[in-house]
Amino acid sequence: MDKLLVSPSPHLHTKTSTKSLMRDVVIALLPAVVVSVLFYGWSELLILGVSVASCVLLEYVITRYLLKKPCSVGDFSAVVTGLLLALNLPSTTPWWIVFIGAVVAIGVAKMTFGGLGQNLFNPAIVGRVFLLISFPAQMTDWTRPQGFIGGGLDALSGATPLGLAKEGGVAAVEGLDYMDMLFYNIGGSAGELSAIALLIGFVYLLVRKVIRPYITLSILATVAVFSGIFWAIDPTTYTDPLFNLLTGGLLLGSIFMATDYVTSPMSNWGGVIFGVGIGIITMLIRYFGAYPEGVSFAILIMNSVVPLINKVCHAKKYGR
Amino acid sequence: MMKTFSIGGIHPSDSKISKDCKIEVLPVPSKVFISVAQHLGAPATPVVKVGDQVKVGQVIAEPAGFISAYVHSSVSGTVKSVGPRKDLAGNNMTHIEIDVEGDEWIEEADLSDTLITAIPEDNKAILEKIKMCGVVGLGGATFPAHVKLCPPPGKKADCLILNGAECEPYLTSDYRIMLERSKEIVVGAAIMKQVLGGCPAVIGIEENKPEAIKAMTAAVAELQKTAKGYDGISVMTLKKKYPQGGEKQLIDAVMSRQVKSMGLPIDVGAVVQNVATSLAVYEAVQKNIPLITNVLTVTGDCLPMDKQHNYKFRIGMPLSYIAEIAGGVPAEAAKIISGGPMMGKAIANMDATTVKGSSSLLYLTAEQTVRGVESACIRCGKCAEACPMGLEPFLLNKYARNNMMDELEENAIQDCIECGCCLYSCPANIPLLDIIRIAKGDVIRIIRGRVQQGKK
Amino acid sequence: MTTTIIWTIAILTVLGAVLAVVLYFVAEKFKVEEDPRIDEVEKVLPGANCGGCGQAGCRAFAQFCVESSPNLDKCFCPVGGNEGMQKVAAVLGVEVAAKEPQVAVVRCNGTCENRPRTNEYGGYQSCRVKAALYSGDTGCSFGCLGCGDCVNACQFGAISMDPATGLPVVDEEKCTACGACVKSCPKNIIELRNKGRRNMRVFVSCVNKDKGAVARKACKAACIGCGKCAKVCAFDAITVENNVAYIDFTKCKLCKKCVAECPTGAIHAVNFPVIKPKPAAEAPAEPKPAPVAEPVKKEE
Repeated sequence: MDKLLVSPSPHLHTKTSTKSLMRDVVIALLPAVVVSVLFYGWSELLILGVSVASCVLLEYVITRYLLKKPCSVGDFSAVVTGLLLALNLPSTTPWWIVFIGAVVAIGVAKMTFGGLGQNLFNPAIVGRVFLLISFPAQMTDWTRPQGFIGGGLDALSGATPLGLAKEGGVAAVEGLDYMDMLFYNIGGSAGELSAIALLIGFVYLLVRKVIRPYITLSILATVAVFSGIFWAIDPTTYTDPLFNLLTGGLLLGSIFMATDYVTSPMSNWGGVIFGVGIGIITMLIRYFGAYPEGVSFAILIMNSVVPLINKVCHAKKYGR
Repeated sequence: MMKTFSIGGIHPSDSKISKDCKIEVLPVPSKVFISVAQHLGAPATPVVKVGDQVKVGQVIAEPAGFISAYVHSSVSGTVKSVGPRKDLAGNNMTHIEIDVEGDEWIEEADLSDTLITAIPEDNKAILEKIKMCGVVGLGGATFPAHVKLCPPPGKKADCLILNGAECEPYLTSDYRIMLERSKEIVVGAAIMKQVLGGCPAVIGIEENKPEAIKAMTAAVAELQKTAKGYDGISVMTLKKKYPQGGEKQLIDAVMSRQVKSMGLPIDVGAVVQNVATSLAVYEAVQKNIPLITNVLTVTGDCLPMDKQHNYKFRIGMPLSYIAEIAGGVPAEAAKIISGGPMMGKAIANMDATTVKGSSSLLYLTAEQTVRGVESACIRCGKCAEACPMGLEPFLLNKYARNNMMDELEENAIQDCIECGCCLYSCPANIPLLDIIRIAKGDVIRIIRGRVQQGKK
Repeated sequence: MTTTIIWTIAILTVLGAVLAVVLYFVAEKFKVEEDPRIDEVEKVLPGANCGGCGQAGCRAFAQFCVESSPNLDKCFCPVGGNEGMQKVAAVLGVEVAAKEPQVAVVRCNGTCENRPRTNEYGGYQSCRVKAALYSGDTGCSFGCLGCGDCVNACQFGAISMDPATGLPVVDEEKCTACGACVKSCPKNIIELRNKGRRNMRVFVSCVNKDKGAVARKACKAACIGCGKCAKVCAFDAITVENNVAYIDFTKCKLCKKCVAECPTGAIHAVNFPVIKPKPAAEAPAEPKPAPVAEPVKKEE
């Protein structure tokens, strides 16, 4: 080095980068991805592939040719969006619907707002909700495809546990085993398959300090308390707390989607408010709404409140 | 349960590579250049002319204001010139150039090794000595020590905190003096404690320096047994966390009190002095030796073990001279820092000379120190999590870039201590502190202007 | 069916009428009395809100003009220039004296070639941040830092960085002399100078206060404060203070004697027509039309 480098302090920097954070999220999603591929086979693999590839490609094309900004594909954020979108879809979804979902997620929800860091709503959820409203038949077709292990076309796979509960009340889901839900669910999208796989990812994210636990825990606690109260009042009408915690997209949503940096509050207390809001809205939709599941809607609604929460909730300042 | 400060903080690797290197005394060069800006506040006014003969320890510049300090000659010889010379940052500052002839000290100086434990009774005389010997805080800010030791009327010190945290990575100079000069430091603490009216004194040391904790505890115990005036001094082990050595953080850690915004430590009854300052107080009061030496660490990951050093230097030595004695600047060094890697200054000019507060020559490689390319804020909140003042750097950055002064003040930018935790922890490499530091200056100017208008 | 429509129309009409009355009273109650001339003055201003006049924006300037009328000596809109001020004066019905048109001049010629880099700057690319940190990445602690704060400050796109020299270049056509760049430069290099006769100007392109030898070592094009220019100047326009010369543009007669005298080429003459046979000094105001006036230097 012939010339000395001079810059303002500090002179050391953390090794954590946007890229490494996003890579950690991808790693944390791997258990869920592996489980889903094992049980749902080739068709799930196709969805994952199409979703990730189209998200990355769209981000590249848009940043490079439309916005003419430095290309942001290298930061893995599009990969995360692609994975989350895929895990939120039924494993029978045709590839072109997946592609439309990716266009909405990256093109509409992310890039129109200015790209990474600017979007108000979680791109993967926007993509998923768009598909759910546009293609209701395909998006609720829970036929279980042939997996690499575990049975194949299951007789029970006609609906998700939450769907069963919505239609037939508590009696319809009485026969379901919680251990099944914990390890590989009975029906639902790929990401809802195994609670254990998602929890492994959660622990990894916490250990690597990628996320703080407040949002996830407050969502889960709110859901447990809310459903606990109703269940205690009338166990024949309302499903029990454990059922509500283990089924549907709650774990996937609370661990990976609600904790998205860009669309969640910055402060810890803000995160708690955000989480409680998501928990209550989710349960309101599950118990009283038209849809059997409400995590996606709950997160979207609370996303829109985040700027407000950020304005109100600040960190505790020294000496004040 | 070990104590530490309550908000934020980060854990960089401590990299105390040179901690086992004994303090060596640097030979005096043939020429020194002593800056008149050795301290916080107004630069001192030179009182020697070209051609004057000076001795080691003789006053060569006088304070030019309330917050200013005496500067003494670190060598004996002839004054060659008094004029501008480029400092560390390449800016012009008045330096006094002295040609070295022999090593003749002022007569009052006691150069023996004997430890003097008896503390003089006259507090006024002690303060006068501390002032006349040009003692300044050696923890980094170089604030004149006697000013801090005279609490304004109506304020009383409840606790003297000696800062032995040395939370900056790489630096080992405080650690070495705590090992090698532990008793002198305790005597210095006892002197300051007496001046402050006999409040208890706590020596705070981070847990990653067990030997220093042991040595200081032993020194306190021995002095308490053998001499008078050493009661109420204790050693406190602190958890390792940066910036533990920040004044406000240390008060929070040791006393569980927090200084109000724009307030002074004495408002909550705290006086914080570095252990090196305590040593300088000892030398000044007990030995009549003015502050012309300090200990500096030469270190870096790219230096082999035999080129790591802790040197006792005299002020006015060119940095290039020290680097050469230490074995030259390593080829891998991309940046040389004076001070710690978190708050130290990058050296633009190796011909600059040592000052009272010099604490290191730290060589960092390009891989360690070059900043990544700035990318978009992903609102991860890691900066806010790291900020030890509980500020929200991402927000301040946004407001500062849009010159929103009222919002900046509302969000307490003036409380920023420039510790660097935000920029350190930002995964998107946003130059948070660079921008906040400038805006903080603007906001403080606005606040001061308002206060002054209020007075009128 | 018909009743529904009738009811709807009736309700909306009543609602509209009631709200209109409410709005009228609220507007009356919170009416702010303002001099109507402020609006009129604002209309003739350029509306750039650049702050070059020293006020917070065009509206604030209009108010300032109205308040200080009839004496408009302290009011000057650099963007609108004399013409604009005449309009303002006409609106207010007063007289205003014309001011010399000015232009921003960059007083540093520390190009990459003249002023070799001595270190590398690795912080945020902002002159203010850089200046607060240290003297800069060259041996000269007075010269241009090259991060382009002036470029960002200019609202008229009149300043750009020349990648070859690393120095800002002022586009004289676009420059309105609003002074935003002058304020943004932490080294005080940019100065507003009178445009001069036919845009011809002579100025010292250096602000280095170091002693001659030090300055020269840092930059080949530095003013070394030798004072030769001051000696040769017949009009007392040049002063040398703190080792740096300064040409007073109100006294300079554009004779260019100093330009030839300067040993380091720190004095620049711009926009003078090229005249081959003899030094241009004697003939600054040649009556001959010089249609293609090639600039001698363009380092501004």
